[in-house]
Amino acid sequence: MLELQNLCKTWQGRDLLRDVSLRVASGETVAILGPSGSGKSTLLKMVAGLESLDAGRVYFDGQDITALAPERRHFALMFQDFALFPHLDVQDNVAFGLIEQGLRKADARTQACAMLERFGLQALARARVTRLSGGEQQRVALARALITRPRVLLLDEPFSALDAALRLQLREEFRQRIADVGMATLLVTHDEAEARAMAARGYAVEQGGLRLLW
Amino acid sequence: MKLRARWLLGTVPLAFLLVLLVAPAARLAMEGGQLPWSTPWQDAYLRWRIEWSLAQALVTCVGTLLLGVPVAWVLARFEFAGRSWVLHALMLPFVVPNLVAAMGVLALLGPQGVVQALGGAALDSGPWLLLYGNLFFNLCLVVRACTEALGQVSASRIAAARTLGATPWRVFWRVEWPAMAPWLLSALCLVFLYCASGFGLALVLGGQEYATVEVEIYTLVAHELELAQAAALALWMLGLTAGLALGYTALARGLAAPQRADTVPRRRPQGVGQWAAVAVALLVLALVCAAPLVAIVAKTLHAGAAAWGVLWEAGTLQALWNSLRFTLMAVGLATLLGLSHALAARRSTLLRALAFLPLVLSPVAVAFGLLLLYPQWTASLALLVGAYALLAYPFVAQSLAAGLDAMPRHLGQVARSLGASPWRVFWRVTLPLLRPALRRGMAFAAATAVGEFAVTLFLSRPEWATLTTRVYEYLGRPGAANRDAALVLACLLMALALLAFAVIESTNDAMKESTRRA
Repeated sequence: MLELQNLCKTWQGRDLLRDVSLRVASGETVAILGPSGSGKSTLLKMVAGLESLDAGRVYFDGQDITALAPERRHFALMFQDFALFPHLDVQDNVAFGLIEQGLRKADARTQACAMLERFGLQALARARVTRLSGGEQQRVALARALITRPRVLLLDEPFSALDAALRLQLREEFRQRIADVGMATLLVTHDEAEARAMAARGYAVEQGGLRLLW
Repeated sequence: MKLRARWLLGTVPLAFLLVLLVAPAARLAMEGGQLPWSTPWQDAYLRWRIEWSLAQALVTCVGTLLLGVPVAWVLARFEFAGRSWVLHALMLPFVVPNLVAAMGVLALLGPQGVVQALGGAALDSGPWLLLYGNLFFNLCLVVRACTEALGQVSASRIAAARTLGATPWRVFWRVEWPAMAPWLLSALCLVFLYCASGFGLALVLGGQEYATVEVEIYTLVAHELELAQAAALALWMLGLTAGLALGYTALARGLAAPQRADTVPRRRPQGVGQWAAVAVALLVLALVCAAPLVAIVAKTLHAGAAAWGVLWEAGTLQALWNSLRFTLMAVGLATLLGLSHALAARRSTLLRALAFLPLVLSPVAVAFGLLLLYPQWTASLALLVGAYALLAYPFVAQSLAAGLDAMPRHLGQVARSLGASPWRVFWRVTLPLLRPALRRGMAFAAATAVGEFAVTLFLSRPEWATLTTRVYEYLGRPGAANRDAALVLACLLMALALLAFAVIESTNDAMKESTRRA
């Protein structure tokens, strides 16, 4: 269970986030909606440990992880631009997190290939990530995020860079794959239809706080 | 990177700047302060030196403006065979050492030069040799800046102007020129800065009458021991170059980031007029930028076996070894400094601007300040290599800063969330992506160090002669044989510069690919 308690963040003198509290159970997906600049992406980075908190605590399974470095939280983060490493091929992108966990490169690659096979991307294992289509890049980014079996998946506008048809198709595929792994998932988006399709609960960021939408 | 870690990393280059640049400049100011500030202006001889330094810089600016803008327009708007090769070759003068350029100008226009051999008149005095040398170095800078600026002009803006009744000529003045003007102005600022504080070219080509202030400072220090007078002159030049550098920084900050979504498509020249424009542009570049280098090669090939023998002399081999080892040490140090500076300055405009400091002071002022402040270390290898690194590291820092700018921050954040520590992120993500920028910066640093001349003249021992000082030594001896030997040595220096050029150009393509990928 991911639990946020009274998170606060000021930015350029204004309260970006104020007393944000939220619980996300394992296997549950919660969506955060809001316009650009509302602070929803900052909230995600605060949960990931990439952005400092002015106040508040972050817990996972009752353990206070507020001061824990991002790499020790065992969360995975996905951005709208996919953030694939351009100097690595598809297979090594997917294997990246496993190598950081201490796995030998060869073993990590074997596991990455198996993961790519499950995603139907095995033919692209040695391809450069820049040669992939938007949908393929998105799948590789998800495979990279899921392969380490993260405790929490953080999705920052994961479909906004894709066209409408592909967005619909991938939304369903993502929902299914995330459900299969069964971790707590926090989805940030400005698209309410997307949020309703993927998340059991949805909140809007309003004046720095969260308001329950459904 | 956390703020504290960034500042901690920044302390290394900042301390280096403090010890090797700021403190010597302060010492220079103290020395110069012994005389009234107006001293150089009250002495007719020194006043002429200052006036001539400014005048030749101004004339060069006008020359590069008049020649550079049309050439840049042709390169930006027309597509023709060899165009990209020409654009690549425009980088060449940036890596050619001053002395090689000076030798090239002499080989072309000087006594027994190529022009004289072809029946023309030789130039051995007057300001023309120096002005031509200045054009060689600076025309490419202006052409590159204007070509880049014209590449940013939106095609739809030009189309709108045409549909509103503007002729192509009016489109140039009302749409293209205003877009190009800030780039041109910042490039001209640099041209003026380089020419006003130039040393190597002026020393070899200016002669007694047309030497610049920097040459005068060297003469006052090395031959007349008039340190206070030299310091007063150096202070004036420091004020001038600092003002210009500030102007350049302000202008450069206003230059828009590349917007290439809607660029004007280049077209194949049509009709005699357009082909003639291309031919004239190429001829200008060939005569100004390529001819001196071709002349060196041509003269060297005709120099005869005796001249080539200089390559096997013990002194030359020692000088080559010195050049290479000093360059290697300086590039190593410059890389460490540049890397820590670029990483520390990632989100600090102030820190980033500080990397320009070594370029604000002329090498002569740097060396003179070091000589005054650390007289006990003037024959120390550490100080010499430190001074080389000081002049070279801004190139590494600037190249890496550009590489870091092009790198999306998300990559590091994703790597952290995938379990990589900050050090592992640096090692597995940042460094591999920075490799082309690092190679480019190191190549520029190497080109700077291998062609370094002024600092070596001031700070080195006789046994630490480098290729540049050896060229100068042969040039100072009478007789055609010695001049030919100097040409052969200049050719060797040019080969080293070409090596750096090849590395830079190969990394240019890699950087474009890396930016595109990121």
